[in-house]
Amino acid sequence: MEKLLLHILRLMKPLLGIGGSDFDQMMVIVETKLLMDKRRVYMNWRNSQQKEGRNQMSRVLLFYFVIGILMGSSLYVLDNFLTVMVFMHAYFLFMMAMTLITDFSSVLLDTTDNLIIFSRPVSSKAVFMARMVHILIYLLQFTIAIGAGGWIFAFLKYGMVSGFVFLSTSILTVLLAVFLTYFLYLGIFRFSNEQRVKDIVTYFQIGMTIFFTLGFQLFPRMINMVDIRHAVEFRGWAFVLPPVWMSLTNEAFLNRNFDSLHVWMICISVIVPLLSFRILNRFLAPLFVRKLSILQNDRSSLIGRTDKGLGEEQSHGSISTGSRSTISSLFSSLVCKGFVEGASFETTWMMTSRDKGFRMQFYPGLAYILMFFLVFVLKGKGDIMANWHDLPGTQNFLWLIYLPMMTISSGITLISFNEHFNASWIFHSSPLSSPGSIIAGAAKSIFFKYFIPVYMIMCALCLFIWGTEVVDDLVFGFFCNGLCYTFFVNVSDHYLPFSRQPNVRQQSGRFAKAMIQLMVVSLLVGVHYLLIGRSILLLALAPVMAIIMLYFIHRIQTLPWSAIKI
Amino acid sequence: MNLPVISVRNLHMRYGHNEVLKGIDMEVESGGIIGYIGPNGAGKSTTIKILTGIINDFEGDATVLGMDIRRDALEVKKRIGYIPENAAVYEVLTPMEFLGFVGRLHGIPRTAVESKSHDLLSLFGLAEKADHRMNSFSKGMKQKVLLISGLLHNPDIIFLDEPLSGLDANAVILVKEILGQLKKAGKTIFYSSHLMDVVEKISDRIILIHHGAIIADGTFDTLKEQAHTGSLENVFTQLTGSGEQESRAGAFVDVMKN
Repeated sequence: MEKLLLHILRLMKPLLGIGGSDFDQMMVIVETKLLMDKRRVYMNWRNSQQKEGRNQMSRVLLFYFVIGILMGSSLYVLDNFLTVMVFMHAYFLFMMAMTLITDFSSVLLDTTDNLIIFSRPVSSKAVFMARMVHILIYLLQFTIAIGAGGWIFAFLKYGMVSGFVFLSTSILTVLLAVFLTYFLYLGIFRFSNEQRVKDIVTYFQIGMTIFFTLGFQLFPRMINMVDIRHAVEFRGWAFVLPPVWMSLTNEAFLNRNFDSLHVWMICISVIVPLLSFRILNRFLAPLFVRKLSILQNDRSSLIGRTDKGLGEEQSHGSISTGSRSTISSLFSSLVCKGFVEGASFETTWMMTSRDKGFRMQFYPGLAYILMFFLVFVLKGKGDIMANWHDLPGTQNFLWLIYLPMMTISSGITLISFNEHFNASWIFHSSPLSSPGSIIAGAAKSIFFKYFIPVYMIMCALCLFIWGTEVVDDLVFGFFCNGLCYTFFVNVSDHYLPFSRQPNVRQQSGRFAKAMIQLMVVSLLVGVHYLLIGRSILLLALAPVMAIIMLYFIHRIQTLPWSAIKI
Repeated sequence: MNLPVISVRNLHMRYGHNEVLKGIDMEVESGGIIGYIGPNGAGKSTTIKILTGIINDFEGDATVLGMDIRRDALEVKKRIGYIPENAAVYEVLTPMEFLGFVGRLHGIPRTAVESKSHDLLSLFGLAEKADHRMNSFSKGMKQKVLLISGLLHNPDIIFLDEPLSGLDANAVILVKEILGQLKKAGKTIFYSSHLMDVVEKISDRIILIHHGAIIADGTFDTLKEQAHTGSLENVFTQLTGSGEQESRAGAFVDVMKN
């Protein structure tokens, strides 16, 4: 693939206006950059087991292409041209911007170039052109991967003219996406240091993962739910949105309709992206480079103040402690027994907020709660609003009560993984009689940090929908959940927190354990289901649950070293 | 009579509001090893980045090998070598690929780079790792690759930014030996460090920098004699790790006992 691209580049030499040794150097840089792109680990693909030799990039491109075909087919199947066009352009804009933010950020934010390339006898023209060509190749590859599906169907169904117009508006949308990305980054730079920037990028990556997970589940259902065949009508604010300009432009050419509205839209569609790209080149890009170098210098002076190199993480961490640590220390003093458990509680609380690996794997799971809610609670025929109104008559609040635990309990396993797993020597060198208190502290931390807030939201939602008559169910449900959680902690393999290397092969026997967990939950939910409406029994059983829960907690706290896996 | 190969006059540099260099003046003659020493954050790396043409929005004059670094940056870069700090390499590449990349930026043909890189890697004991990606390398291994990348094109002046950090004891001896040999071959070596004891033995001249200004300049022995005057004492003891550090260590143990 990149051989072909390089060959095309060589053919285009006269067009690039760059000759001689500059051109050769540019080619060397571009070639190396493309090689590096191929090897970069794509953030959204971290979970899958990877081998070094694989070409990450082509897998991502293929994936986007397949999704593009699925999206594009809607153009073929559905007859409402304008609606589908808005939808396609919005998808394009979103995907391009997200790709640029999440994956290309490592290229945009990379300042290693300065040290490696600028110290060599390379003309600034060659470097500039190399960067330009590299970005263009990147954009080209992703534009084709994301857009090709849609274009094919546009050509097939609406003919040459519409196909080309769609192709052009897609490219204009790409320009807008680039502009928006730069703009967003400049905004982020304004308020933050380099660590923050990376954090924010991580949240975009989490958002992207959630989008895909939810999208896969919900998109086919949504097609049925939302009546997409009705024509959209644009009012006022809609004309601010680029996809609307683009789709009206497409419609103008499809229907040969050039009234004043459509002509305006065509003008805006062409002028705004081109103008923004010009602004980008003239003002934003140089500003971007300057901000980046200041950011970089901030970092080195930060390191300089603490111990060189080693202090990096720490010094950044110390900036952002703030209120979070006081909340965690308040909780830990309330719910933890002894120093060790409290220390483990608070450390887990902090680490889960800061460790990228954990956040990348755990937070998308939280989105599943939302997804299951939509799928289970709102399932059924007819439209969403009708389902919503029928809810109070159902007993679907059971879903709301027990859904959160299913995903949040995954934190028990996830917490044991950490990139810096070597640091777990600290547990082994400390004079701990019972390592169980460390596991108990970590488990409690996850429960209080993630389960309690989510459960509160669920409670609020239940009270809103079903009213006060479900209060007894919520109380009973809370202790049931606590029981499940402590049971899970008991039966899962006991690893110390942050002590395992990520991406190692999972042990066998996980399936059996998952089945046991599922059975226990089903049993408890079953009991709850039978008891619905019998307040006295529910409230009487809650303390029983609490006592069993306390027993489980005690069991974890007193785990001996022999029970700990390494 | 040697002409100065590095000449800097009234050099100022600021990042945003932060003034990193506050008027540096120095002349360096050809041949010899110059230790550019200062505490962390003193402006060492910035000076080196200016002299190697990486940063060009500074104020003042700087010439290297008789050429203005702003005007003739390309010519200067052809004849100098730069080894950055913090093991800045493209980690997804293998040493051979990285060195091939750097070599070709210098206009050395691919085959020549390959045989040269291979030989140099072997001398550093990295022959087996030549085709492994560097993201699994230790800091010392990356530093070795960087050293080679800065010397591939046989430069006249070699700028090294903290070159020994992260190297194991044997590699440190090897690097010091290489620097000595390079000096014998008539090269000029400009070398930054925040540790005095690393450079005192091999440096012909030591320039002390603190808060963006030069506070002392001379051989190690002259510096040691001057060390008891004024602000120099503080910095000197900090860098050599004697004097004040002793009382700090005492205080450290006292606090520990409480």
